Amino acid sequence: MAEIVGVIGVTHNPLMWASLRAGTPPDLADVAANFDRMQAHVAGLHPEVIVMVASDHFHMLMMANMPAFLIGKAPEMRAGHPNEQRAFGLETTMVAGDPELGAHLLGGADLANDFDFSFSDEPWLDHSFLVPLLFLTPGLDIPVVPVFSNCNAPPIPVAARFAALGTYLADAIASFPAARRVLVVGSGHLAHELGGPRQFLGESPDPDFDEKAVSWMARGDVEGAVASTSFLRLTEAGNESYQFLNFITCLAAGGGRPAVFAEGTPTRFGNLPFFSWEMT
Amino acid sequence: MSRYMVNKLMWEVDRSDDALASFKKDTAAFLDDWESLAERPVPPYPDGGHLTDGERAAVEARDYGALYAMGANPFLLWQFARSVSVPDEMGIDDLISSFRESAAPHGYPDFAT
Repeated sequence: MAEIVGVIGVTHNPLMWASLRAGTPPDLADVAANFDRMQAHVAGLHPEVIVMVASDHFHMLMMANMPAFLIGKAPEMRAGHPNEQRAFGLETTMVAGDPELGAHLLGGADLANDFDFSFSDEPWLDHSFLVPLLFLTPGLDIPVVPVFSNCNAPPIPVAARFAALGTYLADAIASFPAARRVLVVGSGHLAHELGGPRQFLGESPDPDFDEKAVSWMARGDVEGAVASTSFLRLTEAGNESYQFLNFITCLAAGGGRPAVFAEGTPTRFGNLPFFSWEMT
Repeated sequence: MSRYMVNKLMWEVDRSDDALASFKKDTAAFLDDWESLAERPVPPYPDGGHLTDGERAAVEARDYGALYAMGANPFLLWQFARSVSVPDEMGIDDLISSFRESAAPHGYPDFAT
């Protein structure tokens, strides 16, 4: 039987990768320390596979065909796109997958569960997956089952679906017949804006939202998080804040328990999320 | 429909170095070619499309505020603006401030497609 050995939620801001890979600027020391802390924590958990919930930013998926939720089940996957290399210095690489677990999460022989997932046999991961992986597992040596959520092209699934996704993933992982130590990772933002009037303010576009968001994770408050993250409320927080919903999936995947570590680390890019749930 | 086409154009320009280079070199010629591609669709994901006159004018003028007001996807719009305008037309700091100023009067337009 597979078991979830830990749940983590982190930022995937690609400017963080561009800023930190050549050394740590003094104002990002706390971010670097949090990534180091998470990396050491992950190494200590000895995960055999990572089930990762993240949101493609129009690199693999475009509005001609936009699934709400999609699971990748390829044995290996490209990660990093040419325009991300151009913009962020993010080099294209390969990441191993886990087709057996991916197929199981889809439902097995039948797509017979409460989630009518789309699937991909040739997913190509973008920075929303790759940046957290590079910080958490620098060797990229742990297979990944990518779970794509649409947080960038409205209509976006309601928050309750992200909570249900977390519960579903926890149950499905527990029912996988083979032994696997599974780490669940969520990738997203707190209040964040890009391509709008409040982009690059040098601080969070909505500190009040960030404070509440961190407290939902710290208190294990799934209901509070779901009740306060409508599309309109997230837009008020910033027009790229929808990917906070992936952390609601993390919270639910951890059974709704309080996070042992929950922080919105202040930076010139806004408050960056770092969450960790311990399962034992 | 057309909001999608603006997004599709920005997406196709930014995703490949060749497309970006030819868009920057001769935007009108690129757009003519892009519109003609839509007449020769290759399944299942045809390249090219059609823009309204207003959309085409905003694209040719690099009028990011107008595209924002039309409901272009903010993420795609920012990627497109940065790739097209920096560094040849302006530095990143100038783009950040001019983009912010041009978007501000329009608040938060509906950008669903």
